[in-house]
Amino acid sequence: MNKKSNILKQAAAYPHIVWSVLFIIAPLIFVMYYAFTDKEGRFTLENITSLAQPSYLEVFLRSLCFAFLATVICLIIAYPVAYFISKTSPKAQKILIMLVTLPQWLNFLIRTYSWMALLEDTGIINTILESLNMQPIHMINTPFAVILGMVYNFLPYMIIPLHSVMSKLDNRLLVAASDLGCNQFQVMTRIVLPLSKSGIISGITMVFVPSISTFYISQKLGGGNFDLIGDTIERQFQTAYNYNLGAAMSFVLMILIVISMAIMNKYSDEDGGVIV
Amino acid sequence: MNKKNIACNIYTVLVFIFLYLPILVLIMYSFNSTDSTSVLKGFSFQWYKELFTDSATLNALKNTLVLAILSSVIATLVGTAAAYGISKMQNKYIKNATMSVTQIPMINPEIVTGISMMLLFVFVGTIVGTSSSLGFGTVLIAHITFNLPYVILLVLPKFKEMDRNLPKAAQDLGCTPLQSFFKVELPAIMPGIIAGFIMAFTLSLDDFVISYFTTGSGFETLPIRIYSMTKKRVTPDMYALSTLIFVSILVLLLISNLMSDKNRKEMSKKAKTIAKVSIGSVFGIIGIVTIIVLAMSAGTKTVKLNVYNWGEYISDGGQGSYNTNKEFELYYENLHYEKTGEKIDVQVNYTTFASNEDLYAKLKSGAGGYDIIVPSDYMLEKLHKEGLIQSLGKVDTITEAIPNLQYLNSQFKDMFVYPNENGELELYGAMYTYGVVGIVYNTEKISPEDLEKIENGEMGWEILYDQEYMERYKGQILQFNNPRDAFGTAMYHLGFNVNTASTDQWQRAYELLQKQKPYVQSYVMDEIYNKMESGEAALAAYYAGDCLAMAENNENLGFFYPKNSQGVFETNIFADAMCIPTSSQNKELALAYINFMLSEEAAVANAEYIYYSSPYTHVKDNLDYQIYMGYCDYVYVLDENDEYVLDENGDPIIELDENGNPIIEYFEDGDYSVIYYEEFENSLGSMFNSYAFKDLDTTVGASITTQDLNGYWEGLKVDSGSFDGTIYIICGIILVGIIGFAVYYIVITKKRRKLYWNNSPSAPQEKAEEKDDSMSETVMIAAVKAEKKKKD
Repeated sequence: MNKKSNILKQAAAYPHIVWSVLFIIAPLIFVMYYAFTDKEGRFTLENITSLAQPSYLEVFLRSLCFAFLATVICLIIAYPVAYFISKTSPKAQKILIMLVTLPQWLNFLIRTYSWMALLEDTGIINTILESLNMQPIHMINTPFAVILGMVYNFLPYMIIPLHSVMSKLDNRLLVAASDLGCNQFQVMTRIVLPLSKSGIISGITMVFVPSISTFYISQKLGGGNFDLIGDTIERQFQTAYNYNLGAAMSFVLMILIVISMAIMNKYSDEDGGVIV
Repeated sequence: MNKKNIACNIYTVLVFIFLYLPILVLIMYSFNSTDSTSVLKGFSFQWYKELFTDSATLNALKNTLVLAILSSVIATLVGTAAAYGISKMQNKYIKNATMSVTQIPMINPEIVTGISMMLLFVFVGTIVGTSSSLGFGTVLIAHITFNLPYVILLVLPKFKEMDRNLPKAAQDLGCTPLQSFFKVELPAIMPGIIAGFIMAFTLSLDDFVISYFTTGSGFETLPIRIYSMTKKRVTPDMYALSTLIFVSILVLLLISNLMSDKNRKEMSKKAKTIAKVSIGSVFGIIGIVTIIVLAMSAGTKTVKLNVYNWGEYISDGGQGSYNTNKEFELYYENLHYEKTGEKIDVQVNYTTFASNEDLYAKLKSGAGGYDIIVPSDYMLEKLHKEGLIQSLGKVDTITEAIPNLQYLNSQFKDMFVYPNENGELELYGAMYTYGVVGIVYNTEKISPEDLEKIENGEMGWEILYDQEYMERYKGQILQFNNPRDAFGTAMYHLGFNVNTASTDQWQRAYELLQKQKPYVQSYVMDEIYNKMESGEAALAAYYAGDCLAMAENNENLGFFYPKNSQGVFETNIFADAMCIPTSSQNKELALAYINFMLSEEAAVANAEYIYYSSPYTHVKDNLDYQIYMGYCDYVYVLDENDEYVLDENGDPIIELDENGNPIIEYFEDGDYSVIYYEEFENSLGSMFNSYAFKDLDTTVGASITTQDLNGYWEGLKVDSGSFDGTIYIICGIILVGIIGFAVYYIVITKKRRKLYWNNSPSAPQEKAEEKDDSMSETVMIAAVKAEKKKKD
């Protein structure tokens, strides 16, 4: 009886599974097909092997680096914010979380444009600095600007999952821990941190993945002087018509992401993780 | 404690300032009195006014909202059910497989998701046999697909956190499983569902890459519209729209805050009833209006025309200008009524693209169902060669089908004319506009000697490519972010003909661009507006009309056409033309549209809007147009104080000659003279033959293919010789730090565990026994692991 009802309950996932097969697996087969064939449709490994050039390897390495830094910075900024928000009244929490997501409701392209206006050498920040008789800082077209753009755009995706886990935290645990002699720091590392693990993992995924494949941010804030993998893929599909190479890059990128996630999960697993 | 709280608050506030800083900036620019998004000139509401007259943008907004609501609601329903099902799954492999597949859309770069779905939809479309398989439905499917993982990812943890005995307890107390789900489980996971819904809504609202590839004719969302502006500029009415969205959500937030739970509880029954009735009546009215509209439109036949044009490439009724598409609808409805006595409803579905390559990808995919497209010259050649566009008619009789083509400047008569199999000449494109690439510069940033050279007309492409100049303007040069234009300018500088160059010559252009790369500030398209207007950069090559538009916002900007060492102009010339794709279902209407676009009023309005040259004599000779372009003006009657004498309507009185015709004064400079540069004008036709950068794949004599050119470009772009490597070092240090911390953490945890289990050795076993089959299997694994460890 119990088993039967459980199978029935599992059936709730079936629409999603059917959907996934139709609209996730099937399109993916097209990507694979392109990655392993040439322009005439013959099987080839050339697309994959051609990515072993030093210039492409550096693009991959750079993207990993940028995405990694953006994720770390997001986590560092978001963690305390999510914690403070979870400590406010439920009403305030609702409003604050709304305020966190609100910027995302405005168009991403336009927000990135605004950053351009802020960061330029003749931009708003430098104009203010100059009027205060301070040395202007060159920011636009540097890795710093690109990472800043990533952090800005994906920060809410870190705060929300963190907050959603922390708001569920049983406050009695914290009190108990301090009663049993933990100081504030120990409460954080021994109680809050382990219990918010699932939120951290969700957050990291939600920031890392879009960061590693972004192209608009690097084009607008990086000046197109150094490619990220997203730029390179976008170019294959939009200017170069080299679908095969583009598909091969996306394939490699996917494998890279899966590996990163697997590594992360291996060391943070224990309660199953949310990811893969 | 208090001090700490203050620190916490300050920190949170700082993060919020960071989040809202760019929004503040965009609000500021939405009130700007010019069309610049980098130079502030004054306060005005003009962009808000413009926004409400811009029906295409409002329509795009409506589409975006409908799409976001539908996709997020469906994704939340399916996703929550899926999360429930997954949380109940016991087979580890099935569960893991499901979760992995779920996350693919998150892991895949958006562009790959978009393209792969496009390939799928088109594939299915060709099997089913529809001409335009892409549209609202496909975008909706795509949005649901990428929303699902986020919903599942946010809801699933809630199921895990929930006490598994709760539903059981509910059932013990007499709930049916369904009741226990709705009364116990659902409230527990509600925060996750809400978070998932908001996330899905937000993502859908903001997505442009996936929508861009999966949409077809007649469905355009706001992000696509903005993205398509990337050849021209992003207009500030988009800023105004963003500001309005922002403010309205903020207001909603405040209202919901005021109507907090407390107030709601205190609300009387009567108030509740009133609220219910008013909400009900709003929905009722919406329903009735929809039915009436449907009923009214049922009587008249609707004819749709799908137009696919560049972003910002048509006079759209903004700032009191001519609304071309609306006027055409009216014109054709009347025309049809007069001819046949039948009332029809004409609808122009106007959508936009950002580059020729995008247009090609859309057409090549076989999807779309467009009736009018506007490719550039080289792309038109390619489309014709591949049979993707159809003939507009035989050249001899073309003026019967499109009478307004009679005004085409005779120099362009041979363009886009190709022979059919019988040797008869047929026209494939009606010219829309043409332009020349020149160099825009900032007089304040250019050295006086160079400025003198430019003014004397002695300067050529060397200012962008010679070592001496590159050193001088290092970090101040902007380069095209597309291979054709970037390579084109390099080739002109080297004195090679782009259409007949040898492989060796292309190689040299490539080396030149490589040499230039360290001196380039950035590779740009639409950003050039911002960067030139704000004075961020000193020099750039771009299309003439756009350069003049920039100069409107910064008086220090100048413009010139480069000459080679023999003093001959040498630069790229391009033309965009209206074509009818082979797949068009309504050629007659399409031809009528083309003719209407070339009628004097529409053509003048569009030429004024786009700011590129018009190849039509009735536009060039139009007095209003000439005045608009600063070529000439009326002479006005002045009084003794040099002030205008006004008539009874308050308009200045125009001076008339003895025959009663207005006297007109001509000026030497002005935008008109730059756009219709005399030295070009006489040789435009031949210029097209020698300078227009033709399609590499179809031109006889081209030594390389488009693919080769793209290969060179790829090499240039991925080359990162000048990239500063310190970022890798920072990355490495942080990585080492994290690994160190992780190792430390694992060691500490293990130690602590050992301590615990040594004290109570039976604990893990007890735990394992307690759990029944509904226990989370992950806990089980942990228990088994712990047991193993113990044995070791």
